[in-house]
Amino acid sequence: MENNYFSKLKVLDFTGELGPYTAKMFAGIGAEVIHLEPLDGDPLRQIGPFYKNVKSRDGSLPFCCYNSGKRGLALNLDHAEGRAVFQRLCASADLLVESFAPGYLFQRGLSYETLSAKNPKLVQTSITPFGHTGPLAQQVGSDLTCAAMSGFLYLAGVGHEKPVRSPDNQAYRMAEAYAAVGSQIALFGAQRSGKGQFVDVACIEAGAGALENAAQFWDLEGKIRRGRGKEAGTATIHPCADGYIAIVAIMGKNKVMWTPFVEWMKQEGVEEWEVFDDDKWIESAYRESKEGYDTFCRIFEKYTAQHDKRYIYETGQGYSVAVTPVSNGKDLLENPQLKARGYWQRVRNETLGGDVVYPGAPYEFGEIHWRQGGNAPRLGQHTREILAAHGYAKQDIDALIKAGAVYAE
Amino acid sequence: MPNSFERALQGITVCDFSWVGAGPIATSVLAQCGAKVIKIESLKRPDILRKGEPFKDGDNTGMDRSGYFANRNANKQDIALNMGHPDAREVAVRLIKQSDIIINNFRVGQMEKWNLGWEDVQKINPRIIYVTMSLQGLNGPHSEYMGYGVNLNALCGLTARAAFSGQPPFGTGTNYTDHVMVPTHTLFGIMAALLEREATGRGQTVTISQLEAAISMVPSDAMAYAANGEVLPPLGCGDPQAAPHGVYTTLGYRKWLAIAVFTEAEWCSLKYVMGNPAWAEDQKFATLEARLHNQEELDARVEAWTSGQYSDWLMEELLRNGVKAGMVKDAREAIEDPHLRQRGFWAYLDHPVVGVSLYNRAPVKFSRTPVIMETPAPSIGQHTKEVLTGMLGYSEQEIQKMTSDQVLV
Repeated sequence: MENNYFSKLKVLDFTGELGPYTAKMFAGIGAEVIHLEPLDGDPLRQIGPFYKNVKSRDGSLPFCCYNSGKRGLALNLDHAEGRAVFQRLCASADLLVESFAPGYLFQRGLSYETLSAKNPKLVQTSITPFGHTGPLAQQVGSDLTCAAMSGFLYLAGVGHEKPVRSPDNQAYRMAEAYAAVGSQIALFGAQRSGKGQFVDVACIEAGAGALENAAQFWDLEGKIRRGRGKEAGTATIHPCADGYIAIVAIMGKNKVMWTPFVEWMKQEGVEEWEVFDDDKWIESAYRESKEGYDTFCRIFEKYTAQHDKRYIYETGQGYSVAVTPVSNGKDLLENPQLKARGYWQRVRNETLGGDVVYPGAPYEFGEIHWRQGGNAPRLGQHTREILAAHGYAKQDIDALIKAGAVYAE
Repeated sequence: MPNSFERALQGITVCDFSWVGAGPIATSVLAQCGAKVIKIESLKRPDILRKGEPFKDGDNTGMDRSGYFANRNANKQDIALNMGHPDAREVAVRLIKQSDIIINNFRVGQMEKWNLGWEDVQKINPRIIYVTMSLQGLNGPHSEYMGYGVNLNALCGLTARAAFSGQPPFGTGTNYTDHVMVPTHTLFGIMAALLEREATGRGQTVTISQLEAAISMVPSDAMAYAANGEVLPPLGCGDPQAAPHGVYTTLGYRKWLAIAVFTEAEWCSLKYVMGNPAWAEDQKFATLEARLHNQEELDARVEAWTSGQYSDWLMEELLRNGVKAGMVKDAREAIEDPHLRQRGFWAYLDHPVVGVSLYNRAPVKFSRTPVIMETPAPSIGQHTKEVLTGMLGYSEQEIQKMTSDQVLV
């Protein structure tokens, strides 16, 4: 009875550096996902960090992460027989996720109109830097340039500082997460109407959708805002004995938030804690002033410098203060909450000759069962079995391999 | 009936107890796709984002001038229901009977206090999807801990690497996790449960751990530490696969241009646009490895070239030559961006108090079922009468009585 819908859902994933998390989300809830890649391999295979710091075709940790739970088929779309295989796969698929440049598939006779003619329920989700329409549609883009153009990057700094980049290609990840949502919504429509559709997701839009309130600051007040981080105790980051911690001890005029912070400082016997026991801290104007910010840092950091992230986190939370560690990879693996919940997934990878640790379930369901799934495929690992399941005889498969239309390991 | 589902989520009703950040963003996307979202608020307990900056003309009187609130709540209906009153539950129950989804992002236990936990709600409507969004999951030693988006950014590992070498980490400058990671995973979970319901006829719980959802989009540091025992270094604006790769000063107030050079062909194109300067022919810039090794000098050289130029003109020239480049746009520039405008990303809606003001739609374009920005953010209780007399079947007299009894406030 489990996974009635998703165990029957067939997803094709022809993505590379941009796009793989979308179909990974579907694989996690039980869909059958085929990861398609060109004969020379998915470019994500070239991206580190690598397992044991050894660069190899199967050792890219991002590739391993985003393509686990998928099977793999290597396919040449520049070959007529390769295109025919692609069409046959699409004829029985529910969802195609791809991140080709706009026009790439059309030029090869593989437009959505063509693919859906034989399979009207097909949903095609395309993830690109700028989308399929608009003046920038044909432009090249990268994670950084999309983050920049969207207005998202500008917020990652204060004053005249240059903005800083977020790790793990967030302009790509944002678009992928929204592409997964858009795919689900289109699949829901297809389930009711029998008709699929083309879903166009642009990194620049995903970034522009993450401006918090910056667009409204311009529209309503004519102000250009930058990042949070210099208002004392309001989303500030402070050094401690073994790294940094982040704290939101107050927002706006919420004295109810500030009182527990003062109590924490008092109980810990922090030198000069009495300075915090003053209503001037309830005013954001004071917290934003140089005096307010410097005073806060001087007193609070004298305390934090004596303790590690974990101590400050657990002690501050004990006083109901929103303080958290600035976690690095080590902290995350050792995080007691994640350990207690069995979050991290350790999976043996025979190709790499060791265990790989993966993030676990992002959600839990009453009935749908989330799964980590098998290791990411080697290049062409499942080509033969997938083609056989799609009606190709052994000699046909051999001929396709020989012709260079597909690759099988 | 070919046009009976021209909105993807037409006919889906959402009983929306969520407030502040991630929950309302998720339900806003559902509303844009045609779901009927009924937001439950109360004059006794307004959504606190109604008091969040910015405000129309900087004036924060009343409950309707916040753009922060507005952009998360377009297309919704709003009923005033004082859940502190014992008679309020019956109104909620009538709504739950007719809803497909019920969502809250309260602290664990709040819905149970109203006898509206999953066990109760399932009895009221066995087809309902029951969504909760706790910070760190329902169990474990830190399940009661508190935090805002900025805390979660730090805790999940995003902030640590969003730093320039030798400086404290900064992060995105926003409550990033609230805007993207948490709402997208919530939406994916909701849609999965809705699709599954079509097969089983039953609703189910969708339980988000905001932390666990967030980590799935920043996996590299933890995976690399598990594999290699090393914490990854700060990213700055760099990329291990590209050089030059960064944000370079151009003419004007806080104007920068992002440039990302991955391939040798792109490096040659950049050299060409720079006028093939002699320095660029030096052996220390001859390969990607060499350029990464001499990154500081390379960045200084590139910046010496960009700093006397206009970012928009230079971007166009670089793009024309196949070099990935993007202006670091602030919010005003993103709002005025011809590409985003032409794609209909921004919407201006006429709000009765604020007037015509700016919203953005979800970053997804469907070819067949439109995403529509229809109505501006509602006032508290704007639709109480309409919803109660309409879908909930209350009489005018009953409503009057419940209003004077302080139920519908």
